[in-house]
Order: sequence, then C-alpha cells, then structure tokens
Amino acid sequence: MMSKLSLGGKASSGKISSWVQPSFTDFFGGSSLNSFSSTKLLPRESQSKVQSSSSSDIGGKKQRKRKGEAQTSKLDRDVFSSRPGSQENQDEPWVDVHAPQTQAELAVHKKKVEEVESWLKVHLDLKSTNKGGAVLLLTGPSGCGKTATVRILTKDVCCHIQEWSNPTTAEYKTDDSFRDNFDPSSRFNSFHSSSQTAAFQEFLLRANKYNRLQMSGDDRAQERKIILVELFPDFVSLKDFPNQFYRQPGCLHDILSLSGDTSSRLLFPKNVQEELSIHHISFNPVAPTSMLKVLSRIATIEANKSAGRISVPDKAGLEQLCSGSSGDIRSAINSLQFSSFTDFSLEKSLWSCKKGKSSKPAAKSSTRAKGRGRASKSTDVLEDSPSIGGKDASLFLFRALGKILYCKRESYEAGDVPKLPAHLSEHQRDKLLVDPELVIERSHMSGEFFNLYLHQNYVDFFSDMEDLARASEYLSDADFLTAEWTSRSTMLEYGSSVTTRGLIHSNTARAQAAQQSSVGFKPLHKPHWLHISKTYRENYLTAQSLFISFCLTPVSLVTELVPYMAKLSNPMRNQALGDKDPGLLDHDSDPDETGKQSTEAGTRTTVPGDTTSTLPALPNSQEPGGDLPASQPQPTTAGALLDDEDLLIEEYDSD
Amino acid sequence: MSLWVDKYRPTSLSKLDYHKEQANQLKNLVQCGDFPHLLVYGPSGAGKKTRIMCLLRELYGVGVEKLRIEHQSIVAPSKKKIEINTIASNYHLEVNPSDAGNSDRVVIQELIKTMAQSQQIQSSTQREFKVVLLTEVDRLTKDAQHALRRTMEKYMATCRLILCCNSTSKVISPVRSRCLAVRVPLPSTEEVCSVLSSVCKKEGLLLPSELAKQIAEKSGRNLRKALLMCEACRVQQYPFSVDQDIPETDWEVYLRETAHAIINQQSPQRLLEVRARLYELLTHCIPAEIIMKGLVTELLSNCDGHLKPEVAQTAAYYEHRLQLGSKAIYHLEAFVAKFMAIYKKFMEDGLDNFMF
Repeated sequence: MMSKLSLGGKASSGKISSWVQPSFTDFFGGSSLNSFSSTKLLPRESQSKVQSSSSSDIGGKKQRKRKGEAQTSKLDRDVFSSRPGSQENQDEPWVDVHAPQTQAELAVHKKKVEEVESWLKVHLDLKSTNKGGAVLLLTGPSGCGKTATVRILTKDVCCHIQEWSNPTTAEYKTDDSFRDNFDPSSRFNSFHSSSQTAAFQEFLLRANKYNRLQMSGDDRAQERKIILVELFPDFVSLKDFPNQFYRQPGCLHDILSLSGDTSSRLLFPKNVQEELSIHHISFNPVAPTSMLKVLSRIATIEANKSAGRISVPDKAGLEQLCSGSSGDIRSAINSLQFSSFTDFSLEKSLWSCKKGKSSKPAAKSSTRAKGRGRASKSTDVLEDSPSIGGKDASLFLFRALGKILYCKRESYEAGDVPKLPAHLSEHQRDKLLVDPELVIERSHMSGEFFNLYLHQNYVDFFSDMEDLARASEYLSDADFLTAEWTSRSTMLEYGSSVTTRGLIHSNTARAQAAQQSSVGFKPLHKPHWLHISKTYRENYLTAQSLFISFCLTPVSLVTELVPYMAKLSNPMRNQALGDKDPGLLDHDSDPDETGKQSTEAGTRTTVPGDTTSTLPALPNSQEPGGDLPASQPQPTTAGALLDDEDLLIEEYDSD
Repeated sequence: MSLWVDKYRPTSLSKLDYHKEQANQLKNLVQCGDFPHLLVYGPSGAGKKTRIMCLLRELYGVGVEKLRIEHQSIVAPSKKKIEINTIASNYHLEVNPSDAGNSDRVVIQELIKTMAQSQQIQSSTQREFKVVLLTEVDRLTKDAQHALRRTMEKYMATCRLILCCNSTSKVISPVRSRCLAVRVPLPSTEEVCSVLSSVCKKEGLLLPSELAKQIAEKSGRNLRKALLMCEACRVQQYPFSVDQDIPETDWEVYLRETAHAIINQQSPQRLLEVRARLYELLTHCIPAEIIMKGLVTELLSNCDGHLKPEVAQTAAYYEHRLQLGSKAIYHLEAFVAKFMAIYKKFMEDGLDNFMF
C-alpha cells in the first residue's frame, strides 16, 4: 500500500509536464481502489512526494493506471534512480518540490492553522472518552492550502494519514453548476457512482481494519490515524453518505478530515453537521502578501539552484502572478514555473501584452481589490490580468458595478477621433475603457440579477434628468427584451448588454474623459426588488387566504376591501364599540404568519389583515420609504453591504 | 354583523335595486328551463357577482347559499402540483383560475371535468346541470381560453359555465360566441344614492342626500366602494354632516402624495424617493397597473395642457411595457423619470420665455 502511494506520486511527478492535467485521461477510470492510498509519514526528504497524491494530479494517477502495473513499477524505479542525484528534475512541478515543510512555510493564515491544530489536539487526545470518529470539515476554494495544512499538522502530532481522493475526473470537482445542470454521463452515472460508493465504503473499512492490524504489531500502537478525504465521492452517493457512513459509530474510530470546496452546505446540511458534531473550518483564498512571500521564496531557491538557466520573474512579475491567481497558490506556483522556463524573448512578449498600462504595478490593483467596488480608481484587472496562468479574474460584484457606473473613458488621440455628423453630435463619447459584456461575464452573475443591481444604484451617478430618463428607458427595454420566457435564456445576455451600454451611454456627464473627475465615492446597495416582490407575494397570499370568504377578485380585494376594513376597524377598536364580527377581522388569527413576517421584514408587520397597524402609518411616512430599507444613499458600512445571502464575498485575510 | 356590503346584498333577482329589466330577463331565462353558458361582464363594483348569485339562487333555491371553501390540489401532467382555493355549494363551484398562474389550463379542465362527471343527486326535482363559475376570465391565458372552448361543448349536458370578467376584450371570440353575454353596467349616481340611503335606513341612520351624492361621485359609481365609504363615514362621524370628509383609502392618499412629490421637484434624488414610495405601494399589493393609472391621472391634472399629449403617450408606452415585462419597478420608474424630464424641460423653457 505504501509503495503504491509513493509510486503514484513519483509517477505523476516524473512525467514530463504532468502537472498540466490531461483532459481526457480519466475516461478510462480504472479500478477506483487504486486511488486511495495510505501513508506513513515519510522522512522529510520525500514528504514532498507524498504531497503529490493530492487532488491536483489525479490526472497523473490516472495515467499511471492506464499504463498498467508493470510499466509503472518501471517508471517508479526510474524516478527512484533519479532521486538520489539531488539535482531536481527540471520538469518536476514546483508545487511538489516546494511543498511547505513547516507551519511557518504555510501560506495559510496563522489563525486558521491554529484553529485546525487545536481541533486536532483535542480530538487526538487519547484520554478523551469520545471514541467515535470525529469529523473535521475543511472548505475553501482550490489551492488555498487545506490539504497542506492537514499534512503539516499531522506530521507535527505524529499520526497516519490515510487519503481518499476521488477517482472521478478533475472537471467533476471543479464545475459544480455544470454537474448540477447538465450531466452528460448521467446515463452511466448510476453505475459509476455506485461503484464509487462501494469503493469508498471499502476504503473506510480497510482503513479501519488496517489500523487495527497495525496497532497489534506496531510498537507505536498509540498512534492515532487521520483519514483524509479529498474531494467527496460523487454527489449521488453523497445523499446517503451520512446515513451510510457516519451513523455507524463503530465504523469510524478515527478522525476524518474532509477537504472539499464550497459546496459543503449542499453536502453537509446543518442538521447533519450538528448531529455528527462535524467541526467546520473554512479557508479563505491565500492572501496576496503571504502568497508573494511563498512565491519569492521559491523563486530565489530556484534561481540559485538553476544557476542562471532559469529566469525568474522580477518582483513586479511575481506580484502580477499573485493578483492573477486570485488566491490559488497552486496555480500561482504552476504559473511561476511556467513563466520561469519559457524562453526569455517569448516571456517578454507575454508579459508585455497588457494594454498600454504595462508599467503600472499590479500590486496596486491587488491591494485595492480588497476595497471591493469603491476602489475602481485606477485598477484595471481586466487589462492587467497576466497572460500566463492567470485564472479568469472574477470581479467582485461591487467592482463590476463600479466599472459600469463610473464608466471610465479615455480621450482619443488627436488624429483618430471618430466624427459623428452634426445632428448626432450629442452622442459623441470618448473611448470607453471597459468592455461591459466582459464585466458582466466576470462578475459571474446572471444578467438579470446584474441589471437589478445596476437599477438599484444607477440613479446616484446621474445628475441630469434627461439622462436619467434615457437610462431608465434602457432598463425598461432590457426587462422587455427578457420578458418572453421561451426566449429568455438567449435574450438575457442581450438584455444586460442593453442595460450596461445604455447606462454608460446615457450618462452625458461622464461622456468626456476630461469631465470625468469628481463623482466621488458612492455607496452601492443590493437590490430591493427581490425583497419587495417576495413581500408582495406573501402579503397577497395572506390577504387571499384571510378574506377568501368575501369572494372578491384579488384587485378589488386589495384596493378596496382591505384598506377600508382598516379604516373601519381601527377607530372601532379604539372606542371598543365592538360591533365587528370578530371572525371577520381576526387580527390574531394568523400569529405565525405575522411573526414570520415581522422577523423577515424587520419592523414591518404587513399582513394585509393587519393593515390597521401599518396602513394608517402610510400617509404619514413623508420620509420616503418609511420603514423600507431606504434606497437613497446613506453611509453603509462595507459589512452591511456584504450582508447578502445571495452573495458571499469573503474578505481576504492579509497579514 | 358583517360589512354593509355583505349584509345588505340582495339575494334574489326580484330584490335587485337597479337594472331591473335585466333582472327580469334573467328570471325568464331561468324559468325557460334550459340555460346557456353565460358571460357576465361589466366594470368592478357594478354588481356582477351579486347578480350571478341571485341567478343561482333562482335556479337552485336557498341550498346554493351554503358555501364551503375547499382547498384543492391538482397535479398537472408535468407532475407539478397546483394548489387552488374554490368556493362551492352542492350545485355550483366558483373558482378564480388566474390564481393558478400559467397552469390555469389544467385547473380549468380538471375542475370542470370532476364537476361535470358527478351527476345531480335528484335530477327529477333539481336541474340536471351544475354550474361552474369562473371569475376573472379576462386574465386567463390564451391557452386556457382555448381549452375552455372545447370543455364547454364536451360537458354541455351536465355542466353550465358562468364566466365573469371586467372586459370582454381579452376573451377570445370563440368563447364569447359560445356564451350569452350579459353586460352589467355601473349604477347611475342616483341609483347609488338610493341604495346608500336605503342601506342607511335599514341601519337606522339618517344619510343626508348631499353626502350620499358626494359619496356616489367619489366612489366613481362603484357600489361596493360607495358602501364601504359610507360605512367608513359612519365610523368616522355620526350623525353625518353634509360637508364631512369622505375617507379615502390610504394607498390612494399615498399615491397622490407621490404624484405631488414628482411635480414639486425633478431630480435624481427625488426619483429615488419616489422609487421608495413605489416599493411601499407594491408591497401593499397595489397592482402596478393601478399605481400607473393613479399616477397618470394625478400628474395629468397637475400639468400644463401642452404637456398632456406627451405625458399620456409616455404613460401608454410604459403601461404597455408593464403588461409585457416582468419587473414592474423598471417601467414605473422609467415613466416617472420620463415625466420628470419632460416636466422639467417644460418648466425651464417656460422660465426662459418669461425672463426674455
């Protein structure tokens, strides 16, 4: 078992450029049993090898499987033979070579590491009476150091790691929505996943069994074991996963560390988490500063080692790598390696293909990025994103909004100003620096939702009424375009395009680059419409259900009966005339409903049946909005802005 | 004790207060024995529903007044479960299919089928058909209306339909041609007044005729509204005085204030305030069309004659958008912004002319 693992690691690392995941190797998914592996902590030298069985190179493992045993063992030997010559193989991924060895080298925030460590300490304590398997759930985006943290910490406390990594394809794990919506292999999936479930079950069984055997013979029998489950087994099996595995306390004597990406809420609903006392630690993307530290460490080591053969990018280049990888340290290191090995001239051309602004240090953008949205002053991640290994830099929502609303322009150089005919001169605009469609794409939102955000916020950026009327017309147009549900999926993109371009164009105050100076900081808000329409629906239904005996059409119900009922009952109640039918206007008839609403809508308790309490307040609310979450600008803290369930933006931890 | 509207609702065709000739015709229709499908239409508050209930009572006797509210759930072919409330007696079933939204076709077909398949218990003494009363037929989808057309013929033997709507313009012509159309116009001001005073008399109150007239005018001859207003007046102040304020609904007041806010100032800031007010109205379930209509009426009465055509045109444009679009606030706000722009421009031009 042990040799198999190290073999897997070697094989993957020994292959030329195997850190680029082959796309199609996984169709031959062989026996999934191969893919779990057990390790004893190896001496420091080969620790980095163990690391390589992490999720990053499933592809490599797959290759091994395809080749068959004989070949792999040969390969294994090859790699081993090349090992002792301490000269690193040039093609070995730096991710493996420079895997962190100590806690200090981890790029993870110290507090997170401490958190995991303390958990491990508590649950590894042999004296603890809790003999059931404790489960720790680590979540976070890929490449933020989840697995590395666990490895290092377990090394510190001396215990086994047994690893499970999914024998499915790499794209399975990365693309959740894809999997949800459209699963090309769904026909095969049941078979595939069931075998996977079986494999996983067997893995757990073996893991436990193995431990027992080991314990009887081993002098270090006290050693506890950690089962590290990378990437959860396929979705389908997960539905019954908790039932099958967790609820058998005898099955798990050990600590189960699970690291997966952010779909944890789906996989581990709250109740399961509580029932099994799963401890959940979520990791943030690696902070740019600590990533920069790691990158420059690697760069220096490599530069020294290679003695000039490798040209490591300078500091600005590293910074750019950091900002381009959006917190994924694995991809950052990969990019670093890639960029270091390329021919210098080629590299030069790659690095300089930023539009116009190549001299601007990217660090500026990466630090500003934390200011989400308000920091759109000089940041142009769109243009600055590195051409090597850069992930699709996803824009923070509020930055994306800022890009549209502040619509930066650049004046044309003297010669090439496009001339519009005289009668169209009012439509003359300077060159736009943003590409609206790209911004929407990068914001990772549906066009509809993006439009709502724009609608909530655009008014602040206009000063002229004519412009505002035109802008609002474009919003109306966009809604009109997407009204037909049969064509909505196609039209959504056009709709958001119309909105963004319409808003940008109609803002004449920002038509010329020269005039674009002082808009100042405007707080951005999340759209109220969703909340409004939800409340509308709820109130509507409540009204209907409360007053169904009146047999009225909904319109006359809400516009005539309910408001007058409010008028009728209010004074009567006060004067205690009591000539009302209590059954008719029983305000407490629906306490649950009222309670629910009042918690949802804050101060408001607008069950239409309860209109007596709220409607009379209406005319008095000269203050616009009354108890509505006012949409006019008001100092909103960033925290409040982010307090949005639809959209979890986590702050980068910076040291 | 209940609302006056319900308490003094006439229960038989002979007791109806106005359009008596029509009531007689309906009576004759019932006495003929057979009975076509009916399409009853007319503005809100004219007494369509009252008339229909009287008709049903004429058909089946007092048994039709024993109503029960049923909560039905229907499973569409797409396995979607649709929940809908119906009001039924032993002889008839009332349903508002537009509650079911896009699945109204399934609802209509299923309900009529189950209704038509069960025979009357005593067909010798009773009518041999039951009645399905569909309200808000003008809000049915085209799909459902076409389905209705076939269903109407198929179950003619055991089931009659009474369709109720405000306007026939949205009812497809095949359905219209299968029904006997009965229009219920609004009562005249005098008729409203007489109803109001007779109701007050029954309550033992004295209603000055001037006040009755005011209420009738203010209610727009909508009898339901008039009665509610009258009752609100009673709550507000009794004995009645001739010049007392007639209480309006809060949303009407609020909407008028919104319109004034638009007239008073035209700025982006004000637009945001108006938006907040529109949101407030929407959360109180006031339909967007009514908000639009109320705004336009109020704005038109407050702006210069030169502007009126343009404002009305804009309003029509966005009203149309409102019908087609999905998010009302976009269109309402676009209308307000457009009006603000027009109005502001006009005022500034006017000021310039005045200066020079």
